[in-house]
Amino acid sequence: MSGVIASPIAFFSTLCFFAVGSIGSLLFSRRDSVAAIWANVFAVLGSLASLIFAVNSLVTGKIVSFSYASNFSILSFTFRIDALSAFFVGLIGLIALMASIYAFGYLKHYYQRYNLGVLGFFYNVFLASLILVAAAHNAIFFLLAWETMSLASFFLVIYEHREETNVAAGTLYLIMTHIGTAFIFFAFLLLYKATGTFDFSAMRAGLASSSSVVKGMIFLSALFGFGAKAGIIPLHIWLPSAHPAAPSHVSAIMSGVMIKTGIYMLIRICFFIMPSVPLWWGVVVLLLGAVSSLLGVLYALSEHDLKRLLAFHSIENIGIILLGLGSAMIFLSFGLPGLATIGLVAALYHTMNHATFKALLFLGAGAVISATHTRNIEEYGGLIKRMPQTALFFLIGAMAISALPPFNGFFSEWLTFQAMFQGVVTAGVFTKAVFITAIGSLAFTGGLAAACFVKAFGVTFLGRPRSIKAGNAPEVSGSMRISMAVLSLLTLAFGFFSGMISSILKNIALSLPNLESADTTTVMHITFSAVTAVFATISMPSILLFLAVGIMVAAVLTVFVSRRQKIIRNITWDCGTNLTPRMEITATGFSRSIITIFQGILKPTKQMDVEYHDSELRYFPKIGVVHLGLTDVYERYFYRPAAHFFLKISEQVKKIQNGNINAYVSYVFITLIVLLIAFAI
Amino acid sequence: MNQIFANFSVPLATVVFTSVAILHLIKKNHLAVWWYVVQSSAVVILLLSSAVKAPSFLAFIAIIATIGVKIIIAPYFFFELIKKHQLKFSVTTYLNMPLTLFVIAVLGAITRTDFFWPLGQLAGSNTNACFIAFSAIAISLFLIVNRKGALSQMLGVLSLENSIVTFALFAGLEQSPALQLGITFDILLWVTISAVFISMLYKHFGTLNVTTLQKLHD
Repeated sequence: MSGVIASPIAFFSTLCFFAVGSIGSLLFSRRDSVAAIWANVFAVLGSLASLIFAVNSLVTGKIVSFSYASNFSILSFTFRIDALSAFFVGLIGLIALMASIYAFGYLKHYYQRYNLGVLGFFYNVFLASLILVAAAHNAIFFLLAWETMSLASFFLVIYEHREETNVAAGTLYLIMTHIGTAFIFFAFLLLYKATGTFDFSAMRAGLASSSSVVKGMIFLSALFGFGAKAGIIPLHIWLPSAHPAAPSHVSAIMSGVMIKTGIYMLIRICFFIMPSVPLWWGVVVLLLGAVSSLLGVLYALSEHDLKRLLAFHSIENIGIILLGLGSAMIFLSFGLPGLATIGLVAALYHTMNHATFKALLFLGAGAVISATHTRNIEEYGGLIKRMPQTALFFLIGAMAISALPPFNGFFSEWLTFQAMFQGVVTAGVFTKAVFITAIGSLAFTGGLAAACFVKAFGVTFLGRPRSIKAGNAPEVSGSMRISMAVLSLLTLAFGFFSGMISSILKNIALSLPNLESADTTTVMHITFSAVTAVFATISMPSILLFLAVGIMVAAVLTVFVSRRQKIIRNITWDCGTNLTPRMEITATGFSRSIITIFQGILKPTKQMDVEYHDSELRYFPKIGVVHLGLTDVYERYFYRPAAHFFLKISEQVKKIQNGNINAYVSYVFITLIVLLIAFAI
Repeated sequence: MNQIFANFSVPLATVVFTSVAILHLIKKNHLAVWWYVVQSSAVVILLLSSAVKAPSFLAFIAIIATIGVKIIIAPYFFFELIKKHQLKFSVTTYLNMPLTLFVIAVLGAITRTDFFWPLGQLAGSNTNACFIAFSAIAISLFLIVNRKGALSQMLGVLSLENSIVTFALFAGLEQSPALQLGITFDILLWVTISAVFISMLYKHFGTLNVTTLQKLHD
């Protein structure tokens, strides 16, 4: 049976589900409910098939590959699903499965408003392209899948196209993703020039004799290209706009797995294609991780839009993944593949964890938004009474992302810390300083993430409703709650079974050529109940048991102590005024003190608008409004000057565009002659 | 068989070159189209010779497609356009006839200078044919630059494509038949779109002179 599952036919079957789902939903686009059900049924089948396929590959260790050569290079394709690919295919399948189940209930609020057939079409194409990106083993085929993924996700971002902000977000995403693709294309061209092949496996052999300058250029181009997709700061500007614009189940996939495709390719290039990794590559990745994690969470703190807040946390978590990845690269450059394995396992573990809890949080946010019809966190409040199950699932997601035990986020961050602590012990002065900076950044990040989710959960679910919509919000449908419940259980399970999962991830890491010689026996010891990384040991089952016993003891003690006490219900003393939601702390108020601490980085702005009873005298204010915000430093100091520069250049270049075809051909003609003469000389 | 084609390489290249030169000289549109047919026929014969050397089903499909597009469909489009818009004479040029001939001579001479000698080395035994084909490329480009009429420019582009194919064949740079098939398909699309473009141009401005497009300049 496992032989049948681990075959190219099984893989193609997975893609066929998505193909049928996409074409069928277009055909049924006149009937919203049929189109939505058709698209989601096949998305569920395709996701489930890909998940089974990937799990089977990981368990059996069998590599599935298939190659089709054509005279038309664009129609030639090669895929190879090794352990690393299987891990990402499985992750995509898992998150897509949950998102697709969720979509059965979630899409109902789009009926009669937008074309569900179009959504189903692009949704299935998007899922298929994600899997192809992880499976592709040829640069041209990869680029084809990558571009399909980018375009499909673009159309999903602008799905609610009547909202101007969504179209603007989609445009920004399209521009940034294509700038990234240009760099990826350049990296592959350099690889082709150095190796004479587009095949990933064959590239490794060809790169052995290449110069370090060429390798460095390939690395930087790949880092820029894939970093733009992953949302690394300062290439992140599309992410906080695009993720919230898409429907929530799509946001879950974009944030949960799409941005991880950039991480996947960075691992593929640095640990599979490149025969060696110099120190500075690891240092660059580690520093980018430190900056992205810290700034990502700081920007999240200032957000009022629930989905934008989550999007900024994606940047933060990509930063944490890069900390593990960067550590691994540094250890690899030192010739310490055993320690590099710990770093890579930490990166892969956090990749998986972030996919689960971020998908859970986006689905939770989608549930809240579909019930209240607003993304503004200040208009929520008291939703725990109206949506108790959604509140519970969101709380679990919030605890997981805040790295609180016994949830999964805690373990992967602990492992990342262990890798970096070892970096401080083994490295020289400069690298030691880099590791200490990264450790400080991760410590800050963990604390700030917890503060941010105290705000997000508290302001959204606790207190009193701040709007009529929040006061009347209904609990969401069964399918939406089922998918959130499963993801909640997974966040707990991925924490509890950390020993077993670490063992699987270690095998994935050791399957990569740069780490296959690693001896991990002295640095990593894994059992079901405990994981030892270098000098520290952690047992997630023990922590869970301890917490469970602690909670039970506390509950018993509470019942015992209060058994004879009477419950007296009375009116709260409120200084003689009526209690209103305006008396509650707002999200802005909560985060302002933290923003003030980091004002040197965040550049907060404050604008006061005052309307007077008599505008001539200006003594008696009638209404005062305070606008608090943050300066977008990237836009102000980098993107806007860059756009201004290119506009100036374009104005000059435009002069040669005089509308005369003959002149244009003359330019070509003259250039040709000059080039030929230049080459002849 | 191959020897026969080898003997005809220079005459066939000369046909391609001469047809481009004649396209510069003649004024009547329908005659220009006929010369394009002659030029395309020479290219087809060259492709046939190449296919005979390395026979494959795809190569013969590519030749049939080339005949279909370059000798039948494209000329048919042009004749229909000429008939529809009564385009008996081609429009003016930037340079007068003596100057045009002078530039053609200069371009022909430049391509035989030492600068381009390495190109001839690519060709092996077909050095002369290779230089003639390269001259045809340069003169085709000059045809596009010099002519103001849209139809003449289209013929210039197609002639340029024929010259490049000829050059590639003699220089040993010929690609797979699949690529040739792709190029032919590309030309078919291009001719179709260009024919629509010419009709729109004529409908809008009442002339095929492309300099009128400058009126669209913002």
